[in-house]
Amino acid sequence: MTTASTTGIREGYEEKYGFHDTEQHVFKSRRGLSREIVQEISEMKGEPLWMRDYRLKALEIFEKKPMPTWGGNVQEIDFQNIYYYVKPTSEEAKSWEDVPADMKRTFDRLGIPEAEQKFLAGVGAQYDSEVVYHKIKESLEKQGVIFLSCDHALKEHEELFKQYFGTVIPSTDNKFAALNSAVWSGGSFIYVPKGVHVDVPLQAYFRINTKDMGQFERTLIIVDEGAYVHYVEGCTAPTYSSDSLHSAVVEIIVKAGARCRYTTIQNWSNNVYNLVTKRAVAYRDATMEWVDGNLGSKLTMKYPSVYMMEPGAHGEILSIAFAGKGQHQDAGGKVVHAAPHTTSKIISKSISKDGGRAGYRGLVKVAKGATDCKSTVNCDALLLDEQSRSDTYPYMEIEEDRVSIGHEATVSKIGDEQLFYLQSRGIDKEEAAAMIVSGFIEPIVKELPMEYAVEMNRLIQLQMEGSVG
Amino acid sequence: MTTELTTDAQETLAAWPAAAIERGVRNGEPDWALAQRRAAAEVAERLPFPDRRLELWRRTDFGSLSLASLRPFAPGSRARNLDDLPPAIIERLAGGDGNLGLVVQRNSEVALEQTHPKLERQGVLLCSMERALREHPERLDGFLGSLVEVDHDRFTALSCSIRAGGAFVYVPDGVDAALPVRLFQWLDGVGAVVAPHTVIVLGRGARATVIEEQLSETLEGTSFHAGATEVFLGDEAKLVYATLQDWGRNVFHYSNQRAHLGRDAELQWVQILLGGRMTKTNSYFGLGGSGAQAFVHGFMFGDGTQHFDLHTLQRHLKDHTTSDLLIKGALKDRARSVYQGLIQVSEGAQRTDAYQANRNLLLSDRARADSIPGLEILANDVRCTHGATIGQVDEEQMFYLMARGLPRNQAQRLIVEGFFVPVLDRIPLEDVREHLRHAIEKKIG
Repeated sequence: MTTASTTGIREGYEEKYGFHDTEQHVFKSRRGLSREIVQEISEMKGEPLWMRDYRLKALEIFEKKPMPTWGGNVQEIDFQNIYYYVKPTSEEAKSWEDVPADMKRTFDRLGIPEAEQKFLAGVGAQYDSEVVYHKIKESLEKQGVIFLSCDHALKEHEELFKQYFGTVIPSTDNKFAALNSAVWSGGSFIYVPKGVHVDVPLQAYFRINTKDMGQFERTLIIVDEGAYVHYVEGCTAPTYSSDSLHSAVVEIIVKAGARCRYTTIQNWSNNVYNLVTKRAVAYRDATMEWVDGNLGSKLTMKYPSVYMMEPGAHGEILSIAFAGKGQHQDAGGKVVHAAPHTTSKIISKSISKDGGRAGYRGLVKVAKGATDCKSTVNCDALLLDEQSRSDTYPYMEIEEDRVSIGHEATVSKIGDEQLFYLQSRGIDKEEAAAMIVSGFIEPIVKELPMEYAVEMNRLIQLQMEGSVG
Repeated sequence: MTTELTTDAQETLAAWPAAAIERGVRNGEPDWALAQRRAAAEVAERLPFPDRRLELWRRTDFGSLSLASLRPFAPGSRARNLDDLPPAIIERLAGGDGNLGLVVQRNSEVALEQTHPKLERQGVLLCSMERALREHPERLDGFLGSLVEVDHDRFTALSCSIRAGGAFVYVPDGVDAALPVRLFQWLDGVGAVVAPHTVIVLGRGARATVIEEQLSETLEGTSFHAGATEVFLGDEAKLVYATLQDWGRNVFHYSNQRAHLGRDAELQWVQILLGGRMTKTNSYFGLGGSGAQAFVHGFMFGDGTQHFDLHTLQRHLKDHTTSDLLIKGALKDRARSVYQGLIQVSEGAQRTDAYQANRNLLLSDRARADSIPGLEILANDVRCTHGATIGQVDEEQMFYLMARGLPRNQAQRLIVEGFFVPVLDRIPLEDVREHLRHAIEKKIG
């Protein structure tokens, strides 16, 4: 079983994503966090006063809140050793030609410009603290769709921005949301006007390059009545010996009859703490879908959530977590039924291998008065060897009687019979195991756009290489 | 218990352990048991009262229990025979023919301990904890206090330091106890803290049936039960064990139940929570030998403003172990239930088969049920599944019954009764089953 370790999990990450450019930046803050650093970030960005004050207040909240003692081990994070703001370029580019050569090469290697041409409606590319490239198709711009970096949105659409910013996830929400609120930089802002369907996905790509860097992007998406958008994010980082911190806040407002799908393929290097707060509010007959794939990072603590605020709202969370050697994926999701006649579904698939630890932590909450709600949760876990660990912590808090809530979970290993069946058809053991894993996560992968589904399967295969000896 | 205690209250509580040790000395407790009391008192002093910051206390608040106003060691009058017992217990025993072993606790003291010649002949020991500590300390050494983690929280430490009463059941190797054992705990009046500890030990290949009931009338005023039970099953032993909590609505109930199973041992455990004002029960078992099996079936039925909090832990410590747990909950009015359960599979506990299910029926729109069924799996060749559901009475079932002429309330009663049947069927004695059916009927109203 363990001849695997000669090749090891996440084999191939190093060549494909683990590289880094020589550091070149126009500004890099001192290590550590202080009022001065926060003020400096705000000044560099030339922000309005209210935002500076918001940041400073959030810093106070961050300092007051205790570190979480549940989930994964976050005690080793040294907040004073991190660079909170690294500005790579002086300007955000609208054309790849204007992106500095090194950075463009990085995104070329990651295949972003190519993907943009082929199947995306818009792309944002963030490098360390700032978005270096942002572009949306003209046809969408003409329909009033706004797709900007969050910093630019604050400058160009301050009123709209201020109206929604921090309304879904207040800075008091949790320690890491407070941290993000204090030092946020970059991320995407999307506004889709009433009735507009953005048929092809918008994508953002997040890249950490600098060692000991903290990336704190902030994303705000507003899907107006009857509109539709699919936003996809990907992320990678170089493999450094010391740990980086990625702590994003993503807020989504899905208005009446609208639909939003948010897909994440998280593939950070194994030295990144990924502590992210993602939440959406869905109004009358709106649909919010999170498709959350977590393959990378040292520790991920992320529970995308949907608050169903008005009748007819629907929330869906599809989560894949793959933990290899030294990784802990504390993934999951939360659905809060705050109105009657709302429905939700959570499907979680987690895989643990080479001593990795993957789990599901979730909440289904039905508030008082939210009658006639339906929610189903399905969690399946696959353990690939005896050193690995799987956890399931589903929370159900139900304050209404006219509801139907169900939770099912199973934990198993790859069946010897399944392996035997495939091997007797001439498929070698390793490939057979990879096929079984692919089949295991198929219900979620099939929800991805084709290009991402292919990518996801490829990543899983990468993870599975040399897994069965 | 979020508030800090006043100095007076602290002094009151600090005096309890000394009084408990004095009682212990007077009773002739062995030194090791007294040392346990002292150690527990130290832990209790060190720990704060649990509040919402503790994961296991996030959903249950004993804040309205003012402990210092209660008094421990409330005496209970000794009964010469069955007729001296509280009427409720006499009624419970009425159907039987006296073929049983019996220990009845009244407040902090044991009122009646009555084994049976048949059991005596088999070498089965059945007596109060006090007598066991005095007359058979060697049988308890290494058992009493070995499963309950004294630092679990302050209530546990308190309970261990002021332990008073409880029973001891010992079945020697290879003995199949000829008669069932029934244990009762009764509370008179109000204002008492009782902390009985019961130990059940089954030797290798031994078999027994034990039924434990906690009863009192609903009175004005508060009482607090903080008890513990420790169960030890030797290799190949088999225990059928039912615990039934039906306190009056003025009683706060805190209880730690622990069981440890040896190789190929089997535990059939029925856990029923009906009474009390607020209940917090931690029921853990460890499958410590290859081939051990535990089956837990339980239900809670709350009405009024009752609050139940049940935490279960299924620990698979060795390979080829099986556990199957089903907890059902029905809630009326403004009652609230919390079920939190965890299956833990240790490293190397291969070929584990674990199941955990929690089914909840909400009978009122003001009731609330929280369900947190968890899994922590550290072995790969296992089959672990769990499931939880929360819902209301199925309208289709109602329609079916009403279409056959049953009025709405009767149809609902039938469905609720049916909901509990799978658990009731597990109860070993017919008259206990019958009594419970009656209690459920009364609750449905």
